[in-house]
Amino acid sequence: MADKNYYTIDPEGRLTCMKCRCKLQKGKAKFMYLDNGFPVELPVCPQCGFVYVPEELALGKVLSVEKALEDK
Amino acid sequence: MKIEERQSTHIYRQKRMFTKEELEAREGLCVHEQPPYCNAACPLKLDVKAMAAAVAAGDFDRALALYEKITPFPHILALGCEAPCEKNCKLRELGEGIAIRELERSALAYGSKPRGGSLLRKKQQNAAVFGADLFSLFLAGELVKKRYPMSFYCAQGDCLSLVKDCAPGLPEEAAEATARLLSELDIDFKWGCEPEAAYWEEREKYALIAAAWDTARQLYPGLETDEAVMVCREHGLITGSTGGVLDSAFGAKRAALSADRIAQHLDPGNTRGEEGCVATRLYTSLEGVEPSGRIPVTDRDSAEREAGRCIQCHCDECIKGCAYLQHYKKFPRILTREIYNNVSIIMGDHMMNKPINACALCGQCSVLCPNGYDMGEVCHIARQNMVSTGKMPLAPHEFALMDMLFSNGEAFLSRKQPGYDKCRYVFFPGCQATAIAPATVREAYRDLCRRLDGGVALMLGCCGAIGDWAGRYELYGETVDFLSEKLEELGSPEIIAGCPSCKKQLLSQGCEKIRGIWEILEELGLPETAEFRQRPMALHDACGARGDAQTQESIRRIAAKLGCQIQDTAYSGDQAPCCGYGGLTQYTNREVAREMTDKCLGRSRLPYLSYCMACRDRFAREGRESVHLLELVYGSAAQQCPDISAKRYNRLGLKQQLLKELWGEEVKAVDLGFEVEYTPEAEERMDDRMILKSDVIQVLQHLRESGEAVLEEDTGLFVTRERLGNVTFWVKYSETERGYLVHSAYSHRMKVVNRL
Repeated sequence: MADKNYYTIDPEGRLTCMKCRCKLQKGKAKFMYLDNGFPVELPVCPQCGFVYVPEELALGKVLSVEKALEDK
Repeated sequence: MKIEERQSTHIYRQKRMFTKEELEAREGLCVHEQPPYCNAACPLKLDVKAMAAAVAAGDFDRALALYEKITPFPHILALGCEAPCEKNCKLRELGEGIAIRELERSALAYGSKPRGGSLLRKKQQNAAVFGADLFSLFLAGELVKKRYPMSFYCAQGDCLSLVKDCAPGLPEEAAEATARLLSELDIDFKWGCEPEAAYWEEREKYALIAAAWDTARQLYPGLETDEAVMVCREHGLITGSTGGVLDSAFGAKRAALSADRIAQHLDPGNTRGEEGCVATRLYTSLEGVEPSGRIPVTDRDSAEREAGRCIQCHCDECIKGCAYLQHYKKFPRILTREIYNNVSIIMGDHMMNKPINACALCGQCSVLCPNGYDMGEVCHIARQNMVSTGKMPLAPHEFALMDMLFSNGEAFLSRKQPGYDKCRYVFFPGCQATAIAPATVREAYRDLCRRLDGGVALMLGCCGAIGDWAGRYELYGETVDFLSEKLEELGSPEIIAGCPSCKKQLLSQGCEKIRGIWEILEELGLPETAEFRQRPMALHDACGARGDAQTQESIRRIAAKLGCQIQDTAYSGDQAPCCGYGGLTQYTNREVAREMTDKCLGRSRLPYLSYCMACRDRFAREGRESVHLLELVYGSAAQQCPDISAKRYNRLGLKQQLLKELWGEEVKAVDLGFEVEYTPEAEERMDDRMILKSDVIQVLQHLRESGEAVLEEDTGLFVTRERLGNVTFWVKYSETERGYLVHSAYSHRMKVVNRL
């Protein structure tokens, strides 16, 4: 079965992990809140696994889903 | 003390807020939906208010439709009704009441009804009326409306003579109009017959039999009827004695309902519902209504103007004063029911969480409502209920709760006055005064120490209101215990509260010896720092002082001594609205909080004088000149709109300053090993996003330990993050010689994890 992703961001080589000195790549991540999980694809460091959440995503989609879940 | 996030959205625990009886008792206090006085007085249940509104709007067709709903023969009623509605018009308390009959007549004169008959199917049972009087005529009309196949036995020969005999004195034009209406009704008239004789011959043909009163008495001399249902049970005859036009029309309505019950083989007294006039509990304020006289109705225009005098009686006393109720456009009864349902649902969206958390819990409605409806109490109970079942999200209240923990943790201070083993007093300025006006608090404490005998201890902390407002009863209980323990350690001195909300909260916690600093200042007289200057000001009473006349009066006397010329504003004293801070509205719903502040400021154009630091701060943020009473007393200004980080820094700074100055204790500054600077945009965003500088510093400390950061090539900025408690904080920065320059910060509550 194909993976379901709620959101996908491809860093396209424009983000660098300063710890591992390598480019972030599109990778599998999951947002978890109040016992609910949302699989997403975000820029992830292939070595240390640092998952990058951009400002627009945090203040946009993530915030609106948080608010919706809080009222469940 | 700990604050925990709710575990899951899949919590099926549920607890009722109220018993059914309590819910109904609360709802019953709200008179918003009670009928207006005119409607309540009409036994036929004419919606006078709606009809007047329709006429005022020039919609005579709608007015006619409303009027025709209550009677089959409007011309007779409009001319002959005794009009109890007019006698009950609220405007009569001021001047002349509305000429309601004139409005009815204007509806008949200028309104037209749509073509087309009834879509209802004709009933199986047929009915007959024997003999003509006003009651039997109305009854025939009512039964036709109910779709009974109808026969009418009378001595008259045509509709016009029938109408004239039944309603003697009816003007020719009205009689003709009524006759026209009658002829259009689906009635099988048996003209020119002897009703009594016809009764004996024909009655077997009908399921429902009614008679004019005289006819009935001739048929059965000495018959007795039940006037409530207009039925002679002995003979199965629908009849009754009536007098006057309205009584006949109402009698016919009761009789028609009895016909329905008989047709269903029920007792006529069965399940009749509410009939006739009703008692109304409506409250309508006449404030601002000018007395006026009747406008003679001669044409459409004058009818519209006369109807325009109607004040559309209703009660919205609470809504008029409350920005929260205005925002949600709901009156307390419906809001309570929706909140009750919200709390009761097990699964699905809780649509009322926002309104529950947006109320300031200030109690203004309980004062404005003629019956004392307390919406704040309902919202408070709902919050506690949701906390107890694990359904209350932490997000709306977390920042405020953390602030309370900070006030009663890192920034807490409880000390006796230097040189005293036992203190008679303890000064409790409150968390907002220390956050916004630390210099003023310092002056106040020094003044109290100087001028009061017996020693004055100091307690810097939060009274617990935040935990209470958030419905976190366990946390609040812990706070109460904590404060009580600290007060005991000081020897349970008399509390001098700097804030009316603290005074109220501490009183509710069982602190008996407590006064406001304003009462002490009245006793001692004003200090030398107090500057007398004549200035016109608008006084905003604190919602924490509601019901506390002593405080309200004391503040006014001190203000007068300072030269303040207090302008009276609407909603002052016990009726004062909340500034938007109370109930944590400022944190849970900024839009409603701003509307609350606007509502407060809309009362006057003058500079505002307040005696709660939260009010002072919110008014200043909206750009209004705003001053706290203690600023004038001590000639020491509060800070202009400190941001959330500055508010914490101020509390901590005051504690450290006083420790050093009064108790000779030096608090060593923590050396981070790096410096953090902020761009103005970053500071603004952080204040807006409720991100503290201390949060940013913790994230940067984590960065230094872990080295985890990402370089954004588009902006050339680094981005790092750390999870602090329930929130992940992100910081965008550039490196400087001595540390970091923060360009932005943001946060989210969701955890983000890798998956395979």
